[in-house]
Amino acid sequence: MISSEYLIQQIFNGIVFGAMYALLALGMTVIYGILRLIHFAHGALITVGAFSFYLFFMVLGLPFPAAIVLIIALGALMGLVLDVVAYKKAVGGPEVAMLITSLGFYIFIENLMKLIVSPQPYAFHAPEFLDRIYSMPVLTFRTIDIFIIATSVGIMVFFTLFVKRTKMGVAMRATAESGEAARMVGINISRVISISFIIASAIAAITGFMWGAKYGQISYNMGFMAGVKAFVAIVIGGVGSIPGAMLGGFMLGILEMFSVAFLPPGYAAYRDGIVFFILILILIVKPSGILGQKEVE
Amino acid sequence: MLKVEAIDVHYGIIPAVRELSLSVEKGQISTLIGANGAGKTTTLKAIMGTLLPKKGRVWYKGEDVTTVPADRRVGMGFALVPEGRQIFSKLTVKENLGLGAYHRNDREGIRKDQEWIYGLFPVLQERESQLAGTLSGGEQQMLALGRGLMSHPEFLMLDEPSLGLAPIVVEDIYKVIQEINRSGITILLVEQNINMAMKISNYAYVMETGKIRAEGAADEVMKGENIMKAYLGE
Amino acid sequence: MPDIKAIFSKVDKRLLAGALIGLLFLCLWAAKAGLSKYVIFIISLIGVYIVAAESLNLTNGYTGLFSLGHAGFMAIGAYTSTLLTFPVKGRDLFVIAKLPVFLGGPEAAWPFLPALIMGGIFAAVVAAIVGLPVLRLRGHYLSVASLGLMVLITALAMNLRDLTRGSIGINSIPTYTNVWWAYIAAVITVYVVWRIVNSSFGRAMKAIREDETAARVQGINPLKYKLLAFTVGAFFAGIAGGLYAHLSGAIRPYAFSFNLTFQIVIMVVIGGQGTIAGPVVGVVILTILRYVLKPLEEALGIYGLVELIYALLLIVTMLRKPEGLAGKRVGDRKVALLR
Repeated sequence: MISSEYLIQQIFNGIVFGAMYALLALGMTVIYGILRLIHFAHGALITVGAFSFYLFFMVLGLPFPAAIVLIIALGALMGLVLDVVAYKKAVGGPEVAMLITSLGFYIFIENLMKLIVSPQPYAFHAPEFLDRIYSMPVLTFRTIDIFIIATSVGIMVFFTLFVKRTKMGVAMRATAESGEAARMVGINISRVISISFIIASAIAAITGFMWGAKYGQISYNMGFMAGVKAFVAIVIGGVGSIPGAMLGGFMLGILEMFSVAFLPPGYAAYRDGIVFFILILILIVKPSGILGQKEVE
Repeated sequence: MLKVEAIDVHYGIIPAVRELSLSVEKGQISTLIGANGAGKTTTLKAIMGTLLPKKGRVWYKGEDVTTVPADRRVGMGFALVPEGRQIFSKLTVKENLGLGAYHRNDREGIRKDQEWIYGLFPVLQERESQLAGTLSGGEQQMLALGRGLMSHPEFLMLDEPSLGLAPIVVEDIYKVIQEINRSGITILLVEQNINMAMKISNYAYVMETGKIRAEGAADEVMKGENIMKAYLGE
Repeated sequence: MPDIKAIFSKVDKRLLAGALIGLLFLCLWAAKAGLSKYVIFIISLIGVYIVAAESLNLTNGYTGLFSLGHAGFMAIGAYTSTLLTFPVKGRDLFVIAKLPVFLGGPEAAWPFLPALIMGGIFAAVVAAIVGLPVLRLRGHYLSVASLGLMVLITALAMNLRDLTRGSIGINSIPTYTNVWWAYIAAVITVYVVWRIVNSSFGRAMKAIREDETAARVQGINPLKYKLLAFTVGAFFAGIAGGLYAHLSGAIRPYAFSFNLTFQIVIMVVIGGQGTIAGPVVGVVILTILRYVLKPLEEALGIYGLVELIYALLLIVTMLRKPEGLAGKRVGDRKVALLR
């Protein structure tokens, strides 16, 4: 018998995780839309974001807002570096080449982190004000949950306004549709790509912090699965659609929670496998996802 | 105003255009005609800068622009209304037109151009907030043309503006093209629909398998119909 | 000074190949007689990796796909052949399922070769099932789907404890694999890939890799060829997995994780995708590198040093010489004007 409290709690958890997936998916879909590239290295930024927060807040003792600003800046910078070093050369060449390079960079960063921080996970202590527990009759949650949901929604709203109202935002949407046509109207594609990387990476960095705070622990390989699942979220919601990516993220979070909750215990290790099972299912049934249009080859 | 000097343009490994030279005088309308696959679109792309010629040069107002990237050429006064329109279907009509003026900063000039274009194509104003993808073929062509004009070009290239459009619409489009030219814009036109194009052009080039086979004043080339038929294989 | 190239092109290729293979086995025999068990182990491992890398080359290098699931297929091959060949006495001891009647019954244990092949077939079947819907779509879907498949397979391996003993894995697998098995398999794999690549199949695959739309226009059905490349690749991956299981004597689900796929991908890319010799070159160089660096890694306590260097080599390769060590640059790919 499943109580309605359990259900609600699970849905809530799903929304919290979904919010984080949605943010990651958002960054990834922007890059995918413009470059047709699965930015594997995106996951690395989550790890870097989490560990830098650890460094700034827990080790160096900087105040919380300063730490947050620093990791966002660091993420943005890393994104720019990746753009310049990894992708600039590969644009215009075979797509597979970019995929491979992207993967190479992820592995490099992951192993570098492994070297620097250690193969063992670290305990991650969010600032105290985010750790308070609230027990309501129907729901138990911590302030970090509210923080995650609020920040995610905030970023998503801000981003949507950005792509709808600003010149650069419209340019990004145009470039995602057709790079060639965008150049013909005078848009500097290089700059659009760089800005996309900066925005996506900054978002990933702060998501890294939230991830660490929610799980209570961080490890050198935390970003990999998160990054790949972000792509699954994009597929669920519809490739090529920004609202689709966000929707897909939330759905993925809820689906994952549900499957973990309702599986017999001991099958929890199936969690990741189920996510990919869902992916394959969707690719069979409706590859364009919920909100997506048919992808032109 | 524009001079193309013996360019070779490759599409991947395949040479699509070989040793092509042409020029367009300021204020004139020149046409590039030829059958499908002759290399007309490739030529326009090389002039626009979205393709890099393997050999040869492109001169604009006396300046060598061969290696200038496309987005910078827009700022220099180039505009291309591409084959198949290539409008941004997920953006609104207004956003599409706005993007045409992307490289510009003069608010007043942009507003005036917007008004002028709405005057030329009232239907665009009607459908301002609609997604460009929902427009009809003819309306999309008008949008593409309008977007090109929004960049306030001095040199406008049109790739098969009549493609897939009903004859009445084509006539309207061509009337507008003439009006644009009268306002001082130099035009290079690519067409398969020879009749309309020739009627409004000053000069014509006939292209076949990547090379220019014949050229001359438009009416002369029209008269040499046998030559054209031979080259175009009608 | 004799013109070597001219002489080379005149010699019958088959004779040359035969001579080289003969030389190879001579060397292996000498090695087996003279070198330590550890070195022989590494040499055998190289052979196994060649099977894995060459088969991945078929999918990734020649057809232009980017499959990340190779480790998953190896896992299937490893577990299948292990469960088939495990000696009956051991099954009671190690709590491993006995074979059902249709596979020979509880008193049966399969001989090595049929078990290997079964592993390969099973992997190929899974590849076909997953490949059918996914290969229709754009290449990126395959990357993520194949990665997901590998994760799924690993998850299954960890949870179907009655079958696989979960995360503890299976030990004391009879070590049937020796240098001979490894290198005969390697030679066969290289030969099969070579035959496919130089046939009409191979030409179609290369056409698809160059320009899928153009290939379609020529009447080539991309799905058919992609499926073929994917499935054959998976078959040999399964064989490689089986060989590996019977070489190291122990398998655990974690052995077949992303790290393994990555290693093989790197070997293929650095060696040279789309060439026959490439994967072999990549395997040899990177395996030797790993075992040379291992003592350093342990001495300095820097774990992950080898992977780091692998990744660095991959990045450098992609940025400087993307066609790999053995590859040739394929024309000037720059079509558009770039900044």
